[in-house]
Amino acid sequence: MTCAEFEQVLPDASEGNREFEYEQHLRSCSACRSLVADLNAISQQARDLPDCGDPSPRVWNSIEIALTREGIIRPSSRGELASVHRFPTRWRSAWLLPAAAALLVTAGVVRYERGTGPSVMPNAPDATAQVASMRPEQSPDDRQLIESVALRMPAMKASYEANLQDVNSYIRDAEQSVKNNPNDEAAQQYLSNAYEQREMVYEMAEERSLP
Amino acid sequence: MLSRQRAAQLVILVVLVGVVLATAEDRKEYRFKVRKGASISVVNQYGPISVKAGARKQVLVTAILRSDKVEIDQGQSGSRITLLSHLLPGADATSGQVEYQIVVPTDASVTLRSTTGPLHVEKLHGDVILESNTANVDLRDLANGHVHVKTLNGLVTLTNIVDGHVEITSLGGDVMLNAVSGPLVEVNSSSGKINYDGDFGGEGEYSLTSHTGDIEATAPGDASIDVTARSEQGKVISDFSLQPKHTSFPMRAGSAFAGTMGKAASSVRLFSFSGKIHLKKRQTN
Amino acid sequence: MTDARKLKTDKLSEADAIERAKLGDPLAFEALYNLHKRRVYSLCLRMTANTAAAEDLTQEAFLQLFRKIGTFRGESAFSTWLHRMAVNVVLMQLRKKNLPVVPIDESLETEEDAPKKELGGLDLNLAGSIDRLQLQRVIEALPPGYRTIFVLHDVEGYEHNEIADMVGCSIGNSKSQLHKARMKLRELLKTSRAEKAVKP
Repeated sequence: MTCAEFEQVLPDASEGNREFEYEQHLRSCSACRSLVADLNAISQQARDLPDCGDPSPRVWNSIEIALTREGIIRPSSRGELASVHRFPTRWRSAWLLPAAAALLVTAGVVRYERGTGPSVMPNAPDATAQVASMRPEQSPDDRQLIESVALRMPAMKASYEANLQDVNSYIRDAEQSVKNNPNDEAAQQYLSNAYEQREMVYEMAEERSLP
Repeated sequence: MLSRQRAAQLVILVVLVGVVLATAEDRKEYRFKVRKGASISVVNQYGPISVKAGARKQVLVTAILRSDKVEIDQGQSGSRITLLSHLLPGADATSGQVEYQIVVPTDASVTLRSTTGPLHVEKLHGDVILESNTANVDLRDLANGHVHVKTLNGLVTLTNIVDGHVEITSLGGDVMLNAVSGPLVEVNSSSGKINYDGDFGGEGEYSLTSHTGDIEATAPGDASIDVTARSEQGKVISDFSLQPKHTSFPMRAGSAFAGTMGKAASSVRLFSFSGKIHLKKRQTN
Repeated sequence: MTDARKLKTDKLSEADAIERAKLGDPLAFEALYNLHKRRVYSLCLRMTANTAAAEDLTQEAFLQLFRKIGTFRGESAFSTWLHRMAVNVVLMQLRKKNLPVVPIDESLETEEDAPKKELGGLDLNLAGSIDRLQLQRVIEALPPGYRTIFVLHDVEGYEHNEIADMVGCSIGNSKSQLHKARMKLRELLKTSRAEKAVKP
């Protein structure tokens, strides 16, 4: 067997398929013996290579954000701000209608009690507009965020209040759009973008989005 | 005579203040040896960060600290460099300022975060991830990498960015894209204006969406695009005569249009809730 | 991570963490991530030789796993499942970028990539003196196709039949590419050693 022939069978031989001629050549040829020793050493060392360290913290941050958004992470009694404000994609629209209905009923009762006449259930778009106008500008989560910003970065408080107002207005308009046209791709895109913006405001306020 | 004396005193005072300020500043330099595909992360709440390509296999950092109320935590793990401007008690937006000038290998990836900035990156082929509160962001001459920018109210300007994925999320900051093309260009703005001036090339997907911000896109007469534009409450104008296309998309004159030009190689979506949308034709001389 | 949270996540055994993750417990997900992040990241980094890409792929592998955690029944080890998912995520990415996962046709290899034929007369003996750091470096310098097979077989311990399944090649091809990868590494290590010997 020549060295060239030896090298041709080497891929199989290194997996354990060794023929007599291979073994004979290996015994008699120091160059090929050296080659096999080198390749074995490389393979052996590769097995013992240490891990490459940890990925940066942003990897976990991004995973957590995505899983929370998808409703796979379901924070229960976490006191941390981070868990409470997110709007899982799956049930965004699902809770919207019952919440809108509850507020609508409340609106009707209030109007009746104020003596504006018997409450009449308005048409759906008007009802939604009423609901939208009644929804408070700041939710408890928003208020908590602003309080946190005021403590840590007082100079940024006004800016974050304005940002939240901006983004909540976007969400309201987008939700209205989806309500009016549930199958409209553009409306769904607006809503997704609006939530992404809100996510960004919270991330930046909590300084979590980058390590 | 009195006023001349006063003027002289004022000059001396100004010089003295200058000297005091100059001596309070501290200049630090770092040099890191790195291999291919290095990544550099800088968190600097107050002050500018400028990153340029130039060094092979090393990262050169020059940092000018405005006062002793801020220090730099720097670290290296393999080819990953981290720099953090650590604010000490009593630091504010002035005393806590650090100015960074960083030179990196062309293939390096860069992650920058700042409240006030500005942030500037140029001539890289690696990924660029930026986050700013009010910092203006200026990126130019980038190729092949992912470009991700998040800003609350900073102005974002991209110039000559090609062949990469570009994703910009801006709340109130305007976004200016000049000669930006690639497989994916996405801008999500709330009230910030979006201004695109390019060729929509690269057979890419271009999506410019806003809540109330106006969208103005300028393209050449021979652009090859499949475009859809819509504004719920704003006006929509196209300077182009588009070939009609079949779409389930609702077409309302003055607030929506859809069509193709040329071979429709790139997909362009211009959506705004209440901003004005204008697809302009570039004037050729 | 605060000390209190780290303590909580350390105390969870993997089995506990899996069951609690199925119920949506955020700490359980974090515990599972911390248990396995290093190995997954190392795999992604070795196969791509790019830290940003490796982080993106690590993220994607864990996301895919966590989305399916409800279906995990414990038939195989969790780490095996995760690891296989990470490999698939990386291979998909390489295919998307049109990078060669395995050079099927030998004629497609460039002259630069292919190991140089060397028969006999070698004066630098590697065995017993390979620096792991150096080996890590030259693995990064391997062409993508060779690197994939080498990392999967010699570093991660997959068998040729498993590799053939994952990358879509024949067992013979996998063996042949592994041999070429080792030959190329040998060449790179010797070149690096020779350069060092020359430098003052």
